[in-house]
Amino acid sequence: MKKMYSNKLVITSLVLPGVLLFVFAILAPICLSVYYSLTDYSGMGSWNMIGLDNYKALMRDEAFFTALRNSLFLAIGFICIQHPLAIIVAAVLDKLSGRGESFFRCVYFIPNVISVAVIAYLWKFIYNPNFGLLNNILKVFGYKGTVNWLSAENAIWSVLVVLIWHGFGWGMLIYYSGIKNIDPTLYEAAAIDGANQKQTFLRITLPLMKPVIQVNVTMAVISALKQMETVYLLTNGGPGNATQFTATYLYQQAFKAFRYGYGNAISVVFIIICLLATVFLNKIFEEREPERRGR
Amino acid sequence: MKVKWWSAALAAAMVTGLFGGTAAVQAEEQVTLKVFSNLPDRKNGQGLVEQMIIDEYMAENPNVTIEVEALDEEAYKTKFKAYAMEGMPDVVNIWGQPSFLDEVLEAGVLAELNEADYADYKFIEGSLEGFKKDGKLYGLPRNTDVAVFYYNQKMFEDNGWSVPSTYDEMLELGKTITEAGITPVAMDGGDGWPMAVYLSDVLYKIAGADYQGTVADAVANSDFTADTMKQATQLLRDAADAGLFQIGYDSQDYGTAMNLFTNGQAAMFYMGSWEASMALNEDIPEEIRTNIRVFTMPVVEGGAASATDIAAWNGGGYAISANSEVKEEAIKFLNYMYQPDKLSKYGWENGVGMSAQDQTEYMTGEETELMKQIVNIVTEATSVSGTPINDCGPSAFKTCIESEIQSVSNGTIDIDTFLADIGAACK
Repeated sequence: MKKMYSNKLVITSLVLPGVLLFVFAILAPICLSVYYSLTDYSGMGSWNMIGLDNYKALMRDEAFFTALRNSLFLAIGFICIQHPLAIIVAAVLDKLSGRGESFFRCVYFIPNVISVAVIAYLWKFIYNPNFGLLNNILKVFGYKGTVNWLSAENAIWSVLVVLIWHGFGWGMLIYYSGIKNIDPTLYEAAAIDGANQKQTFLRITLPLMKPVIQVNVTMAVISALKQMETVYLLTNGGPGNATQFTATYLYQQAFKAFRYGYGNAISVVFIIICLLATVFLNKIFEEREPERRGR
Repeated sequence: MKVKWWSAALAAAMVTGLFGGTAAVQAEEQVTLKVFSNLPDRKNGQGLVEQMIIDEYMAENPNVTIEVEALDEEAYKTKFKAYAMEGMPDVVNIWGQPSFLDEVLEAGVLAELNEADYADYKFIEGSLEGFKKDGKLYGLPRNTDVAVFYYNQKMFEDNGWSVPSTYDEMLELGKTITEAGITPVAMDGGDGWPMAVYLSDVLYKIAGADYQGTVADAVANSDFTADTMKQATQLLRDAADAGLFQIGYDSQDYGTAMNLFTNGQAAMFYMGSWEASMALNEDIPEEIRTNIRVFTMPVVEGGAASATDIAAWNGGGYAISANSEVKEEAIKFLNYMYQPDKLSKYGWENGVGMSAQDQTEYMTGEETELMKQIVNIVTEATSVSGTPINDCGPSAFKTCIESEIQSVSNGTIDIDTFLADIGAACK
């Protein structure tokens, strides 16, 4: 067996599929993107090399920075609203036992199993100011005005609510699994020492959940940056650019405005931002590790 | 002996049948035509007309199978581009407007058509122009589109409202309708282009015969700061500020806006004449569909255009892929579709609106009131605007104006910024 694993042919045959997949599915498209980002390609016909003109235009493009700001806003929304809520709900579910636990676990996960297109159209109707559910509920409570939930001012918050609601189940389920993996004897020891529920949550549950939080937060940031389909179907980036996100803007420029080269420049910058975000998050979690051990 | 004779006869018949069959197959080689359409509703309106012709063609040509792929406009345009890179279906829908056609023709994906073939097809004078480049014809127009306000006549009569004759009167009427708890105009502001058509309509009322020159100069010089442009944008903004459109118009799509009107929640609906088939659509309550009428953009005080100068253009149409492996059959099908008694006649009978071909001989006098009104509007028109502003520039400009027009109408950006932004998108 050992001899087989030292055979270079065997090693190559085992490594090759992964390498080929990486080269053709990830590396080559990125290289092509970089190449096309240096052209004025419209997506059809021939193209000319224009150097860094697309990147220069991008740095002056207000809509791009609006899209970037919205993506960042969404990432912060996920981290500050969705994930704390998901951890708390997961902890509460852990304390519930029996049928209640599995019932609520299923209920919270339902939005994740519904198609994105259905969700987008469902919320379009809920938010409709003329006949939507939300305004009708407000009327029941005596509110006489009409709230335009998808106006230029409100749309980004409305989109945030939908995305938090949609992604909540996944986050909650991962936290729930993390909590379930914590050794119950730690809780028993804390109870003997007289710790209350808040102390148990803050001193035992949360610290031991750190690897899970790290994974979930990284995934949340990446999903915020690449958010596309729900926003595209719900608001199409509008009104104006009020709910424009980096991925929707990339799509708009490459496939609607026939600016394929420019769209590729956006994608290259987008990849760099995603890489930086991942490195940044890893750094944050790495730096705190020795501090905790040192105590 | 008798059995032998019978056996020989049967064998001969079998052999003859076999060879005869092969010959028939050779004579009628099976052909599959792929049609890429922007009409996903195959049971109503224009989509129904297209499907009727396809079915007839297949019935008359049993060796031809026509496969249809239909997507709505936005998805259609996106996939069109993907097809342009990897190989186009044989027959496609196109738009005879610079924002769409310039890049497509530059990429060389459409086949040239012989203009002389269509001399007897009764195309309206000038309707082929948008589909030409350097004098060569690359597509055929389907419709003559007119921008109109559909209104619910019964609702108007019941409430004592009358059709406005000036823009100011329309804004006043909007306020009166709002006070009655009804949405004045259902506007598809989420898609951007209907508002761009509205802007073009207002601009035409202001600039009159100078409309095309003003727009062409603005696109060529990337400068939209002409006074008429500012005034038209201001009038669009005034309409939104006065509450002429439904709340949330800037985020609502075509279907939602249309439903507001067809459910009686809105008194008017701003759209193209292609929606004239609403009068025949049995999904719409009878009380509403039989009372749908139209009027065109009212005159703007001080504007150069009169009430009979209308916003109209030849937009969508069909073309053949340059690389089609069955180009001959595709052109044969295209020509079949455009025989005056097909697309034009069926469109007329199904209340689809005005075709790009002369339809007068198909008028029976039993058309819906709505159709008659639209015909009158076109026949009495003293001039037509031509292509709407959003389709007059490159597609980057089209994308920009259709997005920014939402912002300028809802007051998120000011008029000067809007005009500067759309100018920059032309560079």
